[in-house]
Amino acid sequence: MSAIVITVDGDRLEARAGMTVAAALIAADRPVLRRSPRAGAPRGVHCGMGHCFECLVTIDGTPGRRACLVEVRDGMAVETGR
Amino acid sequence: MSTPGISFAGKISPAKAGDPAREAQVERLSCDVCIVGAGAAGLSAAHAAATSGASVIVLDAFPRPGGQYYMQPPAEASASISGNPQVTAGATLIAEAERAGVRILSGREVWGVFPGGDLAGGRVPGRGVPAADFAEGVAGSNGFTLHAAGEDGAVRVTARSIIVATGAHDRVVPFPGWTLPGVMTPGAGQRLAKLSGTPPGRRTLIAGSGAFLLPVAASILKAGGQLAAVLEANDRPLAAAAIVARNPLIWREFARLAWPLWRARVPWYRGGMVVAALGDDRVRAAVIAPLDGRGTPDLTRTFEIGDIDALLVGYGFRPHIELTAAVGCAHDFDEAAGGWHCRVDPATAATTVPGVYAAGETGGIAGARPARLSGRIAGLAAAESLGFSDTSPERRRLVARRRGPAAFATALNRHFAPPRGLAAAITDDTVMCRCEDVTAGEVRAALADGADDAFGSKLWTRAGMGLCQGRVCGFGLASLIAADRDLDPEEVGFNTPRLPLRPVKLSTMQAALKE
Repeated sequence: MSAIVITVDGDRLEARAGMTVAAALIAADRPVLRRSPRAGAPRGVHCGMGHCFECLVTIDGTPGRRACLVEVRDGMAVETGR
Repeated sequence: MSTPGISFAGKISPAKAGDPAREAQVERLSCDVCIVGAGAAGLSAAHAAATSGASVIVLDAFPRPGGQYYMQPPAEASASISGNPQVTAGATLIAEAERAGVRILSGREVWGVFPGGDLAGGRVPGRGVPAADFAEGVAGSNGFTLHAAGEDGAVRVTARSIIVATGAHDRVVPFPGWTLPGVMTPGAGQRLAKLSGTPPGRRTLIAGSGAFLLPVAASILKAGGQLAAVLEANDRPLAAAAIVARNPLIWREFARLAWPLWRARVPWYRGGMVVAALGDDRVRAAVIAPLDGRGTPDLTRTFEIGDIDALLVGYGFRPHIELTAAVGCAHDFDEAAGGWHCRVDPATAATTVPGVYAAGETGGIAGARPARLSGRIAGLAAAESLGFSDTSPERRRLVARRRGPAAFATALNRHFAPPRGLAAAITDDTVMCRCEDVTAGEVRAALADGADDAFGSKLWTRAGMGLCQGRVCGFGLASLIAADRDLDPEEVGFNTPRLPLRPVKLSTMQAALKE
């Protein structure tokens, strides 16, 4: 896989083309993706296949994207809600 | 950093120029048979229906077809990921379907289904079609309209028949700390390792029950992850070995998966379950309790497994029944089939709603081999009922061929049934519904207040009302309610999904429903 660069909360992160945003974040040891609605507790990837909506992040300005389904692209900007 | 309440919705930002127009584009297509799900069952169904002469469209949520068992890594993936036999077999299945003329639309999640299509002179779907129309058979005579949206655009498909092959998801049960980042399902670990070549953590503990834990462990090792241990709740390994021994078809696969674990000397515990995950902002350790003869964790004899950053816990699978429930098909409860599943006629894979078929795990958990066979049965039967070739002799043979592997799956499912006393680990402050942050204490209070079942607890507490529509918490809630009210899980029922089945932009919905 070729190396590409994304930004996560402003930090540069190297990822391999084809991997999901969730995998890129986990590989970079950044498992906290957002806070839960009522308790404000940290949340991360749970089901990994698009049905639990726990891994919602903002990707290139669009909120509510599932990190486990979207594959990284060079220059992609990811903002977590952590 | 965080703003509780709107954390994931984020800021309201002005729409970029050009965006609304693009989103409002809804491609309109029609076909004889529309299949939802491009996994083992869906691909087999598609190939079968297309070779019978039917026009076939497959809608699938993921970027590439293959489902979970035949998961296809991205084109850029290294040879170590893409070179395994399951990937190769899946690629063959996809190529065969496409050669037969099947159109596979990836990256499209179905958010709605309505009775009536605009091809057979039927009613064009739009505003306010009552769900009851499905039950009355309106659907069967006039076809259906399916709406899907996603990365690759929105689509509205009118079809004379539909085959639901939406697969299954991990059966999870809440425990204190299960919302901590790093706590995932075995299925999540499998996808990370197999698709992205990334283990779920540096050091992972896999726990729960069922044969699936084995391939997950093997995938994580292959992706370069360490395994702290595998913890299987079931404590009768000889009985499991006897089931495997009676089924020579799977010996090879079993050996291929078990060998790397044996070589890596991964500790394999049995007879216990995870009763808590520990950590501040991510998982650091798991608390394990031994299970007694009735399948209840003994909370006085716990021990910890530390130095982990990933914890995968799952107790088999639950069928994905949203679509079949949304169109009003009858469902049955059988623990050995994964709980609630769609009722199907084995000879045709037909559901109780005319024109709607269910293939693979949607009709009960049985694994990839039976899923392929039931998919083929569904595809042939759906085409035949639309006037294409008579395939009843082949379907009879397929039904006979499916019997053995399906019985094997049922025996495994029964053997690896979730421990009866799972709910005993759920403390009052344990989150039950992850979407809405509803705790077990709130659910128990609702039960004491008169909420008798799954539906009642949803109305009282919002548990199951979030974006996942209860897919994640459904089993845990049912276990908790059953334990609290001394009911059978069947009596607790399940919550039928609401449209849209998945979040969809209003602009897309508006364009899709326009006549």
